[in-house]
Amino acid sequence: MGTQDSDKWIIEAEGVGRCFGHHEALSRIDLQIGRGEIFGILGPDGAGKTTLMQLLAAILDPTAGRCRVLGFDTVRDAAQVTARIGYMSQGFTLYDRLSVDENLAFSARIRSVPDALFQQRRKALLQMAGLESACRREARVLSGGMRKKLSLCTNLIHEPSLLLLDELSLGVDPVSRRDLWRMLRTFRAQGTTIVLTTPYMDEASYCDRLAFLHQGQLLAVDSPDALKERARGQVYEVVTARQEEVQQLTGEYREIVSGQWLADRFRLQLASGKAPSEPLRHKLEALGAFGPAAPDLENTFVQLTAPPTDTGSTPEQTGFESVQVDGTDAITARGISVRFGNFSALKNLSFRVAAGEVIGWLGPNGAGKTTLIRVLCGLQRPSAGEVHIAGVALRSAPMAVRARIGYMSQHFSLYPDLSVIENLVFFAGLYGLSRHKRRDAVHWVKTVVGIEGIDGRQAGDLSGALRQRLALACAIMHRPAVLFLDEPTSGVDPLARRRFWQLIQLLARAGMAVLVSTHYLEEAYYCHRLGLMNNGRLIALGTLGELRSALETPLHTADMETLFMTYMARASADEGAIT
Amino acid sequence: MNPHRISAVIGKESREILRDPITLGVAILMPLVMLFLFGYAISLDLRKAALGVLDEDRTPASRALIEHLTSNESFYLGRFLNSAREIETVLQRNQVDLVLVIPSGLQESLLRQEHPDVQILVDGTYSTTALLAAGYAENLVSSYAAAPPEGRLRLETRIWYNPSLASANYVVPGLYAVILLAFPPLLTALGVVREKETGTIQSIFASPLTSSEFIIGKLVPYSLIALLQMLMVVAVGYLWFGVPFRGSFAFLVAAGLIYVFCTVGIGLLVSTLTRTQLSAMLLALIVTLMPSFLFSGLLFPIFTMPALLQLYSGIFPGRYFVEISRGIVLKGIGIDIALTQVTVLAVYTLAVFFLASWRLRKKVA
Repeated sequence: MGTQDSDKWIIEAEGVGRCFGHHEALSRIDLQIGRGEIFGILGPDGAGKTTLMQLLAAILDPTAGRCRVLGFDTVRDAAQVTARIGYMSQGFTLYDRLSVDENLAFSARIRSVPDALFQQRRKALLQMAGLESACRREARVLSGGMRKKLSLCTNLIHEPSLLLLDELSLGVDPVSRRDLWRMLRTFRAQGTTIVLTTPYMDEASYCDRLAFLHQGQLLAVDSPDALKERARGQVYEVVTARQEEVQQLTGEYREIVSGQWLADRFRLQLASGKAPSEPLRHKLEALGAFGPAAPDLENTFVQLTAPPTDTGSTPEQTGFESVQVDGTDAITARGISVRFGNFSALKNLSFRVAAGEVIGWLGPNGAGKTTLIRVLCGLQRPSAGEVHIAGVALRSAPMAVRARIGYMSQHFSLYPDLSVIENLVFFAGLYGLSRHKRRDAVHWVKTVVGIEGIDGRQAGDLSGALRQRLALACAIMHRPAVLFLDEPTSGVDPLARRRFWQLIQLLARAGMAVLVSTHYLEEAYYCHRLGLMNNGRLIALGTLGELRSALETPLHTADMETLFMTYMARASADEGAIT
Repeated sequence: MNPHRISAVIGKESREILRDPITLGVAILMPLVMLFLFGYAISLDLRKAALGVLDEDRTPASRALIEHLTSNESFYLGRFLNSAREIETVLQRNQVDLVLVIPSGLQESLLRQEHPDVQILVDGTYSTTALLAAGYAENLVSSYAAAPPEGRLRLETRIWYNPSLASANYVVPGLYAVILLAFPPLLTALGVVREKETGTIQSIFASPLTSSEFIIGKLVPYSLIALLQMLMVVAVGYLWFGVPFRGSFAFLVAAGLIYVFCTVGIGLLVSTLTRTQLSAMLLALIVTLMPSFLFSGLLFPIFTMPALLQLYSGIFPGRYFVEISRGIVLKGIGIDIALTQVTVLAVYTLAVFFLASWRLRKKVA
């Protein structure tokens, strides 16, 4: 039975650790979570977030320490714990062939929710999640955002006092993410304790308290504001729009451990405990108004994880020759439409991409981003319209086009059981490079992305950041004119993300056109132009400045999220007006 | 155990199965395909073996013997040989399956009321057919060797239960057992592993549902499919292959129900041991399909196996149901005679169920 201390702490972990074979996924975690908190666990892929959540859900036994949840021991009284919690595992864990209603009903029935109560809650939840109109549809046809909301509903149907949410908004578009958070706040107000993991810094700042998890260890536990304070004094910003020069500086000065573009300014973080050196200060002041700035969570994370000596290596520039594109646009798309039966996935898209341009595609789940990339790669034949890649018509010479494009999927399509070098050689073979060229290409690409000296390691054992770079290496080895990146940075820690973007910009400067789809709105600042998509339409395309001033009431200093939401709202209003 | 929770799992599982028409179709079609293939392919009858003849007697008596051997379904006259040297050649080239050697002087010694010898040489490469051919030929030869004198003992052979000695009657009821051991576990094994792969199992673990409730919830719908498969193959066996049905249909269904619970349970057990659909399928094949042919007594009688293998065959439930189904179909036996087998199956089923529930211990690692 629950004891009196369960009144104070919903979760108490004492020295909890978990090993898988020799690998220590978690070590010596001490944690107390109180009633009614929204508690966030923040960390990159592989930090041990999922393991910790499974331990708390009592579906995994710790190999060290002990853990009490709702007053019950997670090993001895696992059944008591699982009977009282809601646990949403990573991914989209629904029964695909069951409808929304059936998924909900199943979840309620295995938890013995009385029928009358179920009907009442079902109605309220579906309404809150905006799923009423979809309640008869099978789960597999729902968009990512809808699936996540339904997953959440199936875990709320028994109104648990503790809700454990693993990767709440991974793969969920910003609009659905807002809905999810609205639901969480409603339930918190009713006394539900919520523990969630997230790789998103912005999401983490919505939590009451936050734990930084890195390589299986808790680095810090505190409120988001207190955590931000820890990086005070390291963060500066310079008001400027001169991206090129800023990029050069970050490459040149190793004391800059991290940098981030905001609306009209560049924020940079210095190695902990250092003030900017004189030459750097001069150069920054020459760019625009320069001064200290308020730190955010990402700064604290960087401070806690970056070893003082490693100031973030930049990609090696030597040996990198430019990717030649013969003067023409990298991509010309005219009037592309894709229809699946009655459903229009893409509606009359036209745009051009110049060589060396980085374009970010943003839009909610189901907006058509993936279909667009599939069309441009020649994997999906458009119902109408024409695409030229580096001057070659996709329709007439699809194979020639394939040789000019590189594609990196969000899942880093690598062979986990092959070593790094075996993966590289295999992809080189796929591109049809001769034995001699293959050796050169592998050598070249290793230097470019900075993965030398790990030839023999298995791809599956690499960290998320290294796997990401290996996947990029496999995608650019044949020096394509156009590179497609499908959510390339999901689940990678902030430092690695920054290095990855430096690499992308390096490739772009060499003449490669890069198309990126992403859910991280802050990454939009790294792109030359942005394409906003909604419902299969390209609703806006332009630089950040152009997008801001193109609105009826220009939002000159709006951050990316506000801008995105404004455009989405406008597009939905337009659609409404048409139908 | 909470019946409402179990029925929730059964309902969910049934819906998922019904909405995957391809898998369901395969599940229903495969047993039929197997029944037809094996029902026709496994024939232990001897039909039309080529007989080579070396007749060194060349008398009306020797010709009558040849006539006697080839004027039936079993043998036809493949080739006349002129010398003993040819025998090896025709056997090596598969031109004949067996050779009848009639030495000279057959007619004379028959007239003298002696017991002359004739020789039959059989190609023993395929031992089963060789034995059959040798047996048939021997019968035919001895039936030729004149009617026994009056007053002596006369042997009259009657074959019961399968008087025509048709292999279909023997093979098809055995196939009922083999098919139900081969397919239901395969389908079921994927059932739990799929939930592991998609991650839905984690939601199950983190819920009040107990592992035995979950296992029963999975067991019931898959067993119903398996029962359907059984009714189907029994019907096809009776209507198409003309296999007799002498026993009680209700008894067969009841025993079959226990048996399918058992085989489906094995599939569930397999899926609690594996993590991916591929390994589940391979393991299911190894523990069910392969031994179901060798150790069920379908083709090779268990009592002729070495003692150790007889013991080993006891691990596989197919063996018991082969005995039950052949017994019911061919001999019309009832529960009084098949009690041992039915009891073993029931105990087996319970053991499998508890083992699977214990293995599925609601932990991800």
